[in-house]
Amino acid sequence: MAFVAGVFGSMLGVGGGIIMVPMLSLAFGVPIKVAIATSIVCVIATSSMAQTTFVSRGMTNVRLGMLLEVATSVGAVAGGITAVLIDGRVLQFCFVAVLVYIAWQMNRRGGDVAPARTGVLEARYYDAATGHDVEYDVRRTRLGFVLSLGAGNVSGLLGVGGGAFKVPIMNLLMGVPLKATIATSNLMIGVTAATGAAIFYGRGYMDPYYAVPAALGILAGARLGPRLAVRLSARALGIIFQVVLLVFAVLMILRGLGLGL
Amino acid sequence: MEPVERVIRWILLCGIAVSVALLAAGLVIGVARGAGLPRGVVPLAEIPRALAAFRPAAYLSLGLIVLIGTPFVRVAGSLVMFVRERDGRYVLVTAIVLLVMCLGVLLGKV
Repeated sequence: MAFVAGVFGSMLGVGGGIIMVPMLSLAFGVPIKVAIATSIVCVIATSSMAQTTFVSRGMTNVRLGMLLEVATSVGAVAGGITAVLIDGRVLQFCFVAVLVYIAWQMNRRGGDVAPARTGVLEARYYDAATGHDVEYDVRRTRLGFVLSLGAGNVSGLLGVGGGAFKVPIMNLLMGVPLKATIATSNLMIGVTAATGAAIFYGRGYMDPYYAVPAALGILAGARLGPRLAVRLSARALGIIFQVVLLVFAVLMILRGLGLGL
Repeated sequence: MEPVERVIRWILLCGIAVSVALLAAGLVIGVARGAGLPRGVVPLAEIPRALAAFRPAAYLSLGLIVLIGTPFVRVAGSLVMFVRERDGRYVLVTAIVLLVMCLGVLLGKV
């Protein structure tokens, strides 16, 4: 199971905590906090392993990732403050609505974004699926930064990695091609997850009985995922991503109804 | 690859290798002693002594700590590279990320 999670997580730039947590707690009867701790370790493993492939292929925009990490990590730390202000149910409903909206937008767009020239954070990578170099610049950096604050905040609140938001923000809004987006999001989720994991370790929720096999399985899976992501067409990746978003939405609805989580 | 990318890749590869080696060592010692996987991690302060005593839990715990610590080292390594490249803007950006990560850990402890 961890192997499969590793393949998908690393292929799509999402941590997959939202799938791992209910699976561990429902199918294996793992206590919820331990399940979250295990899932966070898996996100780190996914991120680290996948980056060794993505970075060497020049797919990751390191500077863009670092810039948005400021927003997502500040947002995540501020999550506790927002939790007092907004009701959990309202938040979950918004989460579902946004996921469905994003999937619909990505579907409407059909293909990948057209690269634009703005002179900001310009980068290029080789697309193995088309055999061409892709050059792109980053658009709407400020708006992307502000929305990343929100994404970090929500992920801190709901205990999900937030890759599901980071990918659309970079792809749809900032005009970063999907493959570079996935690689960059994958780099970013490691930062938030490592902070969370350190906290869970300190509080004693880390259970080697689950975390060790899961981490090893993920590491193996995350070697395969990026290779698939590099080869698949952006269109195919986009469709897989939309399906995963809708699965996330369904899981979050179940969670809101008190089933599972 | 840019220099900063090369450093990131190298740090991640080392982190994974060390972590997997420790986890494997923990599993092997555990099997050799006929014990299953332990159900809890060893607190940071007790790890050195537990390692010396060849307790599997210590090796598994340290393996997990290395895995969790790798992104911290990755950000720190990027910071060093941006300083060396005199990229002032990204020195600042990366320093903030590292600071917030550490702050998050400290706040979470309370």
